[in-house]
Amino acid sequence: MSGEMTISEYLARGGRLTSPANAPQRYRAELMKIMATFVDSELAGAAGFAEVINAGPGTRERITAARIVLEKTASAEKVLLLMGEFGANVGKYAVHHPWADRLPRGTAPGSRRSRHDMRLSVLNYPLEGWTDAVVMNLCMGCGVCVHLEELSAISYQPLAEAIREILPVERRHAELAENGISRLLDSDEATAVRSSLAYWRPRVSAMFGDVGEERLTRLRNWGLRRRNGSAMRRRWKERLDGALRRIGPPADSTGL
Amino acid sequence: MARFRELNVTGVRKTTRDAVVVTLAPADGVTEFKQGQYLTFRREFGGEEVRRSYSICTGRTEGIIQVGIKRVEGGVFSSWANENLETGMTLEAMGPAGSFHAPIDPARAAHYLGFAGGSGITPVLSIIKTVLAEEPLSRFTLTYGNRTMGSIMFREELEDLKNLHMRRLNIIHVLESEAQDIELFSGRIDEAKCRSLFERWIDIEGTDTAFICGPEPMMLAVATSLAARGLPEERIKYELFTTSEPGRALRPAPAAASIEVSAGLTRATVTLDGASRSFEMERRVTLLDAALDNAIDAPFACRAGVCSTCRCRVLDGEVEMSSNHALEDHEVAQGYVLACQSIPITDRVVVDFDH
Repeated sequence: MSGEMTISEYLARGGRLTSPANAPQRYRAELMKIMATFVDSELAGAAGFAEVINAGPGTRERITAARIVLEKTASAEKVLLLMGEFGANVGKYAVHHPWADRLPRGTAPGSRRSRHDMRLSVLNYPLEGWTDAVVMNLCMGCGVCVHLEELSAISYQPLAEAIREILPVERRHAELAENGISRLLDSDEATAVRSSLAYWRPRVSAMFGDVGEERLTRLRNWGLRRRNGSAMRRRWKERLDGALRRIGPPADSTGL
Repeated sequence: MARFRELNVTGVRKTTRDAVVVTLAPADGVTEFKQGQYLTFRREFGGEEVRRSYSICTGRTEGIIQVGIKRVEGGVFSSWANENLETGMTLEAMGPAGSFHAPIDPARAAHYLGFAGGSGITPVLSIIKTVLAEEPLSRFTLTYGNRTMGSIMFREELEDLKNLHMRRLNIIHVLESEAQDIELFSGRIDEAKCRSLFERWIDIEGTDTAFICGPEPMMLAVATSLAARGLPEERIKYELFTTSEPGRALRPAPAAASIEVSAGLTRATVTLDGASRSFEMERRVTLLDAALDNAIDAPFACRAGVCSTCRCRVLDGEVEMSSNHALEDHEVAQGYVLACQSIPITDRVVVDFDH
C-alpha cells in the first residue's frame, strides 16, 4: 500500500498513534504532560484519601475508603506504565514526591498548580475529616469523570484504552460518594455537608482552566484535546447538580 | 528502564523479494507473548544505536517467535536484516510489547475483521493464527492490501491457513497495480473501497473486534468506514506502521559565531514549536527554568529527572545533567538531555525541543 501522509495530517484527520515509536517529539511531550497530570492526580488523591480512612464512622465506610485508595493507586500505575514506555522511570516515580502534601486549608481557590508536580489544582487542598472527604470525593469525582471522558477519545490509543478501563472505576467512586452523602444527611451532618460543598465547589470549578487558543488548536489538531475548559466545567456542573438533586441536598449548596 | 535480552537467530527465510521472516530463540528460553505484539531491536550502525520495532507474526501457541522484516527504502536496520542477517547470529531486543490484541476466550463464537496493508500483515497474522488455534468457534475475515501479487507477504502461509480453516478464514486480497477478476478487489483500501466491501462482502453488524494495521491513509479510511457503519470505537484495535520516521532529520547546529557573553552567563538559543528564541541565562539555572522565565512554554512534569517529559536535544554547546533517572545511554549519546536537570557549562548552548 502506498500513499504518503505526514503524522500531523494523519492526526489532524483523527488518526491514532499506537506506540512511542510513532510519536513525534512535541506530541510526546504534550502526551507525557497529560499522562503525568493523570498519574499525579490519582497518586495525590489516593494519598489524601488514605489519611481519612480511619475517620470513617464504621467498618463499611473504612473498607470503601480503603478500596478507593487502592483503585486510584492502581489506575495511576496503569498510566504510569504507559509513561514508562516513553522512558519515565516507573520505579522511582511513585516515591520521588510527597503526594500527601497539601496547602493550608484557607488557601483561596485558584487553578495554579504546585510547581513540583502536575496534580490538578484542587488536589492541593487538604481534607478535614470524614464528611469533608466524602463531599470532596463527590465534587471531584464528577470532575474526574468529565476529564476522563475527554481522554477516552485521545489519539494515543494505548492511553485511550487504559482510560476506558479506568472510567467505570472512577464513576463508581463518584457513586459511592453520592451514597455516602445520603447517609451523612440521614445522620444530622447537613450543616457540615453544606459547609464542605461551599468549600469544594469553587475549588473543583477552578481546575477547569483554559489553555491559550493557539495551544488548544494545536492540541486539538493532534487529537489530544477536544473541549475547552469552560465546556468541561459546564459538563461537571451539570453532573454535580444532578447528583445533588438526587440526594436532596441541604439548602444553599447548589447555587454556589 | 528498558530491558534488552539476547535472541538467537535460528532461521532466516525470504517471504517476498524484499522481506524476510526471522526465527528467534530467546537465550533465556522465555517465548511468551500476546498475539499482535512487537519486539524492539537495537543494533549499532556506524557507531550510533538504531532501534526498530517489528511485529511477531507467529501465533502464541506455536512455541516459536518469528518476526517479519520488510525492507524500507533507506532503512538501515531493515536493509541490514534483509541482506546480512544469518542463522547463528544474535540479536538484542526489548519486549514483547503493544496492546494490539483482544482477550482470547475458547468458548466464544466471534467474528473478527482484519485490515492489513503491506507489512502491516505481520501482527494481524499472529492474531489470525491465535484465534484459529484457540477459539475454535470464531471466524476471521482478512482484507489485505498490496501493490502486486508478488509483493504479498506470507502469501503461501495465508493460503495454507485458508485451506485448513475453509469455513473460518476468509481472505480478500486488494491489489493496487494488478487487475483482478472482480473489480472490487483492485485498487487501494480507501473509503470508497471499504464502503463497497461493507455493502457486499463484509458483515460489520456481526463484528466483535476489528484489527487495523498499515500505513496512515489506510488506517484512517478503514477506521472512518467502520465508524460510519456503527462499529463502536472500543471494538477497533489499531497498530500504526508509520511510513515517516519522526525526528529523523536533525537540522545542523548554527555555526558557532563569535558572541559577546557576560561573565558567568550563557547565551542560550531554544527552539520550540518551530520558533527559536535567544536569551542570556545564569549558569546556576536549569535550561527548563531559564526557558520558562523567558516565556517559552517548554514541556515538563516531574522536575526531578524521573519522567522525561522535558527531554530535549543539545545541538551546540555543553550542559551538565545533575540527575538522570530516565534517559538511556544511547539517548544521551545522541545529545538528549533532561531540561529540568541541565545547567549550561559553555558560553553558548543551542537546545531543540522539537526533534
